[in-house]
Amino acid sequence: MEKIDIPRLIDIVGEENLKSNPADLYVYGSDSSVHSARPWVVVRPRNTGEVQKIMAYANQERIPVVTRGAGSGMCGQTVPIHGGITLDMKRMNQILEINPSDVFCRVEPGVVDDDLNQALKPYGLFYPPTPASSRIATIGGEIGNNASGVRSVKYGATRDSVLGMKVVLADGALVTLGARTRVEATGYQLHKLIVGSEGTLGVVVEATLSFVPIPKFRCLGMANFDRLEDAGAAIAGIMGGGIAPSMLELVDNVAIKAVNKTMDLGLPDVAAVLLYEADGMVKEAVDYEINAMKEVCRKNNGTGLVSSYNADERAKIFMGRKKLFPALSKFSDVLSSTSLADDMAVPYSKMAETAKKIHEIAARNNIIMTAYGHCGSGCMHTKILMEPTRSDQWDSARRAVAEIYEYVRSVKGTTSAEHGIGISKAAAFKAEKADSLDLMTRVKKAFDPNNILNPGKLMDAPEDWVTATDLRYMVA
Amino acid sequence: METRPFEPKNLEKWKTSLDKCIRCGYCYEHCPIFKHTRWESDAPRAKLIMLYGLLAGKLQPSTYLADRIASCFYCGRCVAACSSGVLLTDIFTDAKRDFQGTEFEALGTTTVTNTDCVACLACVRACPHEARLFVSGKIVTDTVKCQSCGICVDVCPNKAVSTSLSYGTNRPALNLEIGQFLEKENSKAIVFGCNWSYYPDFQASFMEPDEPPEYKILINMCGGRLEKPLLLEPLLNNAWGVLVVCCPDGECEHDGNVKAKSHVKALRELLGEMDIDPERLQLVQIKHGDKVGFQTAIDTFMEKLNTLGPIEK
Repeated sequence: MEKIDIPRLIDIVGEENLKSNPADLYVYGSDSSVHSARPWVVVRPRNTGEVQKIMAYANQERIPVVTRGAGSGMCGQTVPIHGGITLDMKRMNQILEINPSDVFCRVEPGVVDDDLNQALKPYGLFYPPTPASSRIATIGGEIGNNASGVRSVKYGATRDSVLGMKVVLADGALVTLGARTRVEATGYQLHKLIVGSEGTLGVVVEATLSFVPIPKFRCLGMANFDRLEDAGAAIAGIMGGGIAPSMLELVDNVAIKAVNKTMDLGLPDVAAVLLYEADGMVKEAVDYEINAMKEVCRKNNGTGLVSSYNADERAKIFMGRKKLFPALSKFSDVLSSTSLADDMAVPYSKMAETAKKIHEIAARNNIIMTAYGHCGSGCMHTKILMEPTRSDQWDSARRAVAEIYEYVRSVKGTTSAEHGIGISKAAAFKAEKADSLDLMTRVKKAFDPNNILNPGKLMDAPEDWVTATDLRYMVA
Repeated sequence: METRPFEPKNLEKWKTSLDKCIRCGYCYEHCPIFKHTRWESDAPRAKLIMLYGLLAGKLQPSTYLADRIASCFYCGRCVAACSSGVLLTDIFTDAKRDFQGTEFEALGTTTVTNTDCVACLACVRACPHEARLFVSGKIVTDTVKCQSCGICVDVCPNKAVSTSLSYGTNRPALNLEIGQFLEKENSKAIVFGCNWSYYPDFQASFMEPDEPPEYKILINMCGGRLEKPLLLEPLLNNAWGVLVVCCPDGECEHDGNVKAKSHVKALRELLGEMDIDPERLQLVQIKHGDKVGFQTAIDTFMEKLNTLGPIEK
């Protein structure tokens, strides 16, 4: 703390854009993860010049800098494990340009995802990566962890929509990466490397993004399965069958029970529900995809096959999935919903087996875990429901998380599909990427020789996520 | 004044609720205070985190912290949006209860009474939350009961009541915005909306419009806070019209819509007497969350104004 030259930072951003009260620092030391730490100071730059000055100062004094968007990350990416300066980017919130004819827009990092989509709507366009947190998530944060959401199966993740960016490097230098064109083969595509780097390589101060037309037709279908294996076979059948869903979601029985218990939606008490969607500009084409998906579900013993183009009916079909997140939080008075081992990806053929494995590991470790997610992208979401004030529950969670990731690696899956690594998943990430960790460390060193950008994350994170920081809970 | 030591007696029972908060941050976009300051520490989630820190012994009680907690307009949108069902405003009230009477008690957005008060008791009678009290010959605000609805500010004939912290929602702040907007090219109307009307605008981003906008939406928290001079201010500054958006009957926590309707009715009569078309001042009641209805109401109003043209001097 004593290292920080507060007057110097005030000179850069102004007094009204700096906070150092302990209460503010405590808030800015948290996100949506289980971790908690404190920055030494929080500053809100308004423009690139201010970011450059802050970085030049921090680099000179070897002060850690953690860049922060909405603070909705689930793995502790913005938890300042070594203190330092937290850069709150929410003041850099301008949509700078929408260029429909060249199919790109330019935005500052603090622009909120939903706001961008609202601005694109009058042009008949949308920015597709959109995670579930799009109402608050900023584009900068989404770039930080390569965010994606329910439609990633068709439209890809953030990396697929980023054409270029301006980045302030650790020493304050400004570089322009990528291009404004659909394709580029001009040297290293460093903007793609920045996506998913969790604030460890530079500070994104402007992003050039592509977008797609809003489809005229959207049809959502549902199928129930009495056996998880059948749902898994249907997923593999759809994805390997030349069909192009715009969404393919799995909801397991634990999740169904949670929704029924807390929301009384009357979902069928089956082993799994699949939700499948197709979209497009021509109805016949959408019909073709939907019917093909229905047929695959039917062949794999799917029942209750319904589908609809009607927006209200689609909302009704999707309600169970939509309400899952709050249902898990409200599941029990004593259990809290924690984001741990929450977004692994596995090959399609392993989806059902992964869900079963998760249930098995949860039961063995005396915790409750669901399995649901964007199975069209191979992404499996989970939540661990546990009593967070009991220290033995953290031991159980630690064991369960390790066992799950061991299984994921054994089937050639990956640690994170869309939430990133941060602190919570660092051990699993290191185990998965063992033979390229040294290379990643050298890349990091080339960008940030003094290790000031979000230190203590990814390769640099502590091995044990439970003791890496204070836990946000009052553990007995 | 003698103070008592701070003890989180009322907060204790919320420990489990504070665990239930998954810190998703979905309450941000609904909070007018966060949207005004854009500091995370002013968002509802931050208030819960601070109180958690207090209970866990990670934060010490302070006036600064108490002031953050007391800064709440009780619109309740964070509660409605909470994915974990946490009763945020009830927790804030209990926190205020714990701070009350201690050296840290802070005013936040609650109201203060200045020396111009003649103790007419109009505010005591009008307060829907029984937060205005007549004690030892003086009017005081019970900071625990006060929900910062601002009705006492409006009913005070002597203008002796004001909000301690307004976050851009009091008359001087709104008048400043009105003045600045109406100086711009193409500006025609002011739209006042309550925080429940889900105004059809960006949540936290900005984009230069292609053309200068014809209207500006100002969120003043509740129709009950709309004072008559505030409603007239735009018309005195060359606006073509003023639109007030309120909750439907029976849906306003503070019955502020009833008061706004009465103000608008009286002012429309006044406009008529001044040979100004009363249609230039309109009130519409929009269902909570009905962004499309809000935008349609604005479009209809602007269409009407464009047929009327500017007010002739």
